[in-house]
Amino acid sequence: MWETLAQAVINGLLIGGIYALVSIGVTLIFGVVKIVNFAQGEFVMIGTYISFFLATQFGIDPLVSLVVSMPVLFVVGVLIQHFLIRRVLGPNDMPQIFLTFALSLLLLNLSLMLFSANYRTVHTSYSDEAWHIGGLYIPVAKLIAFAVAMALSALLWIFLHTTDLGRAMRAASQNRDVAMLMGINPNRVFAVAFGTALALAGAAGSLLMPFYSAYPFVGQVFVLMAFVAVVMGTLGNVMGALIASLMMGVAESLGIQFVGADSGLIVVFALLLLTLAFRPSGLGAKRGR
Amino acid sequence: MQSADNMRWLWLAIGAVVMIALPQLVTSSFAIDILIRILLFSFIGVAWNLMGGYAKQLSLGHAAYFGLGAYTSTIMQVNYGISPWIGMVAGGVVAMLASLPIGWLCFRLRGPYFTIATIATAQVLMLIFLKFRDFAWGAEGTTIPNLGSAPLMMQFEEKSSYYYVVLGLLVVGLWITHRIEKSWIGYYLVAIGEDEDAAEAIGVNAPKVKRDIYMISAFLTALAGTFYTQYIYFIDPATAFSFNVSIEAALVSIVGGIGTLWGPVIGTVLLETTSALLQSWLGSSVGGIQLTVYSLILMAVILWRPTGLIGFATDVYHRYARRKPARA
Repeated sequence: MWETLAQAVINGLLIGGIYALVSIGVTLIFGVVKIVNFAQGEFVMIGTYISFFLATQFGIDPLVSLVVSMPVLFVVGVLIQHFLIRRVLGPNDMPQIFLTFALSLLLLNLSLMLFSANYRTVHTSYSDEAWHIGGLYIPVAKLIAFAVAMALSALLWIFLHTTDLGRAMRAASQNRDVAMLMGINPNRVFAVAFGTALALAGAAGSLLMPFYSAYPFVGQVFVLMAFVAVVMGTLGNVMGALIASLMMGVAESLGIQFVGADSGLIVVFALLLLTLAFRPSGLGAKRGR
Repeated sequence: MQSADNMRWLWLAIGAVVMIALPQLVTSSFAIDILIRILLFSFIGVAWNLMGGYAKQLSLGHAAYFGLGAYTSTIMQVNYGISPWIGMVAGGVVAMLASLPIGWLCFRLRGPYFTIATIATAQVLMLIFLKFRDFAWGAEGTTIPNLGSAPLMMQFEEKSSYYYVVLGLLVVGLWITHRIEKSWIGYYLVAIGEDEDAAEAIGVNAPKVKRDIYMISAFLTALAGTFYTQYIYFIDPATAFSFNVSIEAALVSIVGGIGTLWGPVIGTVLLETTSALLQSWLGSSVGGIQLTVYSLILMAVILWRPTGLIGFATDVYHRYARRKPARA
């Protein structure tokens, strides 16, 4: 019993690391640019396809292809912010929601047209390897993914807290108007935030590849978790998103283990709806706001 | 103004004659099928637009009510032999009741997070109906027994009869929208859509207005669910609670003109015609092409004409026909 429980918690934490990369991206964009990027999952999908093609065409290990997928998606993010998002920033919700939603639909269906709905996998030397500690089973590929995800989150935290640009981004997320008055260039800050968020999604895609598949709908799985985690962890709060993501991973895994194989999603949605009902501003929010 | 009013009635009369005569002139079953789809999605768009368009509560979860309507009437028909005409109204009532707790949850959030919460509720309902194997057939779904010609059970031999049913629904939806547009509630809705806090500050009871309009919108969407199930003789959770229904409801309104009476109709005509043309040129073999084109149209509208095709047409009309400056 305890072993099953511990195993479920470990499985949940490991996949929760990937959820964290996606939800930190969502929350970073929300915090700084003040929009919700409905297309975040599709950039995870692009990350998986980049790693898949680098692995099958050039034999590059998916973990190494991180150094390609991250910068490529950073540039894509800067371009999208500059040419699309910038044009709809303003008090009106409708264009913002439906622009990123349209982007999500477009990328998803384009990839369906180009790559078909087939699942594509990459087999690495460590794909099937696992450590056995006591009665516990720890797959190496997932452990690496988790470790890299945590390292990237830590790097982002250091960037946000020690560099001028990072501080400017945090200032913009706390009070955009005052930050602008202090001479922070909004376009630059927004572009970096959007690019960084997409680079994290790309990293999530590459990290998934050794133990998961590339297919057009892959992002939908992760973006759903990310939205739930971001709502639970208070919108715009990076640390909250990280902790909530790990919790979501564990909750989903416990649901699969103890309720039934197809109830992971129900548990996740139930958590979302409960959060909305009782703490609409998120678990990390101060009371009485 | 008298002559403008007369002109309006003239146009409506011409429109009515054309719409009633259309199935007699168009004989191809493919074309009638497209016309039925256009009327159906116009109707769903009209239902969405009441809440999403006027009050700017941008739901992407209207499939919840479409599915509840479809399942209520089908369960009543298949398990108890009750006519879908009664089931349709019952489905509407079920959807209205369901909109109360769903609205209670979702209206706590604003903007994009309201949208996400509505997506989640529709998904939860789909997951629940996947689990209901005893009286709702689980994931396999069920076919509706074909009784041949049975108008009392909403089954017809002629496709044109289905056309008239959904045409009737659309007329009802447009009439309700028109009445609401001209009433106090209509102005309250627009005020909430413009700025909810400001609307509350001048005494609009925003939670009550939103709840009421959500109930009407849910009721109408449920009617569409019953009709669709009767039309395709089949139901399962994936079609009844399809995310595509939620997407198209919002898309047709935004493309046509969000928060306008005819916007959803015009948007549906454009999107469904495009989709039918694509299908006849390329065949249905290319997966994803329909939504690829829809999303490109949506992006174009948002970036260049956020008021939709109606806004575009009004601008052009004012610029060239009336020679009055177009309103921004």
